[in-house]
Amino acid sequence: MIESVSVSIMAPTGPRRLSQGWESAHRPAPSGRVAFVSDLSTRPRLVMPLAEHVAAYGRLPGGLTLGMTLDTLRAANLTGRGGAGFPFWKKLQAVATAESRKSPVVIANGSESEPLSKKDTLLLKNNPHLVLDGISLVAGLLGAKSAYLYVKDREAHSAVNAAMRERRERGITELRVTIVEAPAGYVSGQETAVVRRIAKGPALPQFSMDRIASSGLRGAPTLLSNVETFAHVAMILRFGSEWYRQGGQGGDRGTRLLTIIGAVGRPGVYELSPGASLAEVLRETEAPDPRAVLFGGYFGRWLDLSAPHTAKFPMDDAALAEHRLSFGAGVLGVVGRETCPVVEAAAITEYLAGQSAGQCGPCLHGLPEISTAMARIALSSDVERGMHDLRSVIPLVEHRGGCQHPDGVIQLVRSTVGAFAEEVKLHRSGRCTAQGSHTSMLLPPGASVSAGGAA
Amino acid sequence: MRLVIDPTRCHGHGTCAELLDEYIRLDKWHYPIIAKQKVSVSHADLLRRAAQLCPELAISVVDD
Ligand SMILES: Cc1cc2nc3c(=O)[nH]c(=O)nc-3n(C[C@H](O)[C@H](O)[C@H](O)COP(=O)(O)O)c2cc1C
Ligand code: SF4
Ligand code: SF4
Repeated sequence: MIESVSVSIMAPTGPRRLSQGWESAHRPAPSGRVAFVSDLSTRPRLVMPLAEHVAAYGRLPGGLTLGMTLDTLRAANLTGRGGAGFPFWKKLQAVATAESRKSPVVIANGSESEPLSKKDTLLLKNNPHLVLDGISLVAGLLGAKSAYLYVKDREAHSAVNAAMRERRERGITELRVTIVEAPAGYVSGQETAVVRRIAKGPALPQFSMDRIASSGLRGAPTLLSNVETFAHVAMILRFGSEWYRQGGQGGDRGTRLLTIIGAVGRPGVYELSPGASLAEVLRETEAPDPRAVLFGGYFGRWLDLSAPHTAKFPMDDAALAEHRLSFGAGVLGVVGRETCPVVEAAAITEYLAGQSAGQCGPCLHGLPEISTAMARIALSSDVERGMHDLRSVIPLVEHRGGCQHPDGVIQLVRSTVGAFAEEVKLHRSGRCTAQGSHTSMLLPPGASVSAGGAA
Repeated sequence: MRLVIDPTRCHGHGTCAELLDEYIRLDKWHYPIIAKQKVSVSHADLLRRAAQLCPELAISVVDD
């Protein structure tokens, strides 16, 4: 069981954000509503030792009951940080009430397969204790017999290992977390791929008529959430739901880690407090002349900043939803005047088509066709045909994959031709508004795709 | 009753579409598209046979 101490979980004290206390010799303490947490460098960070962690965040709360916790998490309205934004309390409830002879399993997803994202790795490297706290609390509440942390980054892996050793040495008795290495590949972080890999299979999505909450790892009810989600659970169960709702109008009103990249002067990981405006985000990230923002990562949607009022709206769940946007996997990709958003999207589409697990016909054959169509539009080689092909291929692919990968690609493609209809029109006449070359700023380093590389 | 195909298993052999032309048509890559998901009870045996004949065992007939 987890260390039991009597701390009122409603105490409205404590750090104001996840990244509190992550400052180091190289880095000042994050502050402000758009708090700069780290640049994108991979230099090893100082892992927060347990004593410091406890001093900054307090001990683990004890005496929690499932009912009370569900109420707290529902009031907090914490939503998952892995992409889909699913309410965490519903997931917890589904696993807790699943009818099964097997004990529940808890899995923290730290694979961070979104190529531009750095927030999960940063969290694990800076404060693995916060994630372990979340896993420990959730496992305790569910009476889980096994817990796993699925992680790709090597340094994150060793930070977590060191933190677990420290916890054992300090006499914290809790369920031991097994670390499982996540292989490379975009789809390796998809939930059924994670479950399959942990069961020693390939990290490929699996089709199932059951949800993993009722039948996941080796048939056991499985709670799988993103590592940042677990960190928020550890905060909410310490400081309460009132504390968590720090700003914003509606939806999930807690802070969130965002990786902000592209045409910005200060790319990096930020902790955003809801209520900050998009203009504030663009100012803090030193975006010199932003034209559009890709919200949510590669499965995301575009906001065209040349449309009126866009820079003003508050960066919170509810306001984003009104624009059919979401924080998705926690990535904002900013495009300036140098590159063309349509070319960027075509490059991402080609990258994602190459990441298909190749298991399902419509994904295997359809995504390359969608990618070719996007390249025709982006490079003005045959816009007419590209648009025509998109219209005919998308219906053959949508909802026909074993996982959400192809639907994520389609979401990006639809958003691109929708948000940049004027740009597409220009491409028809062989022109493009981008001032620079036909390159991409939103591709992962080292990815070579033709649409983004060659004009 | 419902017809479900596991897309990760299906290799597009098309056997199912021959047997179940009322329920399944093939896309341009020869992968099955379920045209009619609800199965009428009188076709239950036919569907079960198609499920058995699928070389990848990708077809399930779900009772619900
Ligand atoms: C192709 C694909 C890749 C994914 N990769 C990740 C990933 O790297 N990390 C992650 O946390 N979730 C990833 N997800 C989402 C997971 O399937 C799952 O929804 C998520 O981990 C649940 O956590 P949450 O409820 O905390 O968001 C991916 C989904 C898809 C479709
Ligand atoms: S839809 Fe694509 S990525 Fe998903 S399981 Fe099928 S082949 Fe793999
Ligand atoms: S018979 Fe099986 S493998 Fe062949 S197309 Fe039908 S479902 Fe796919």
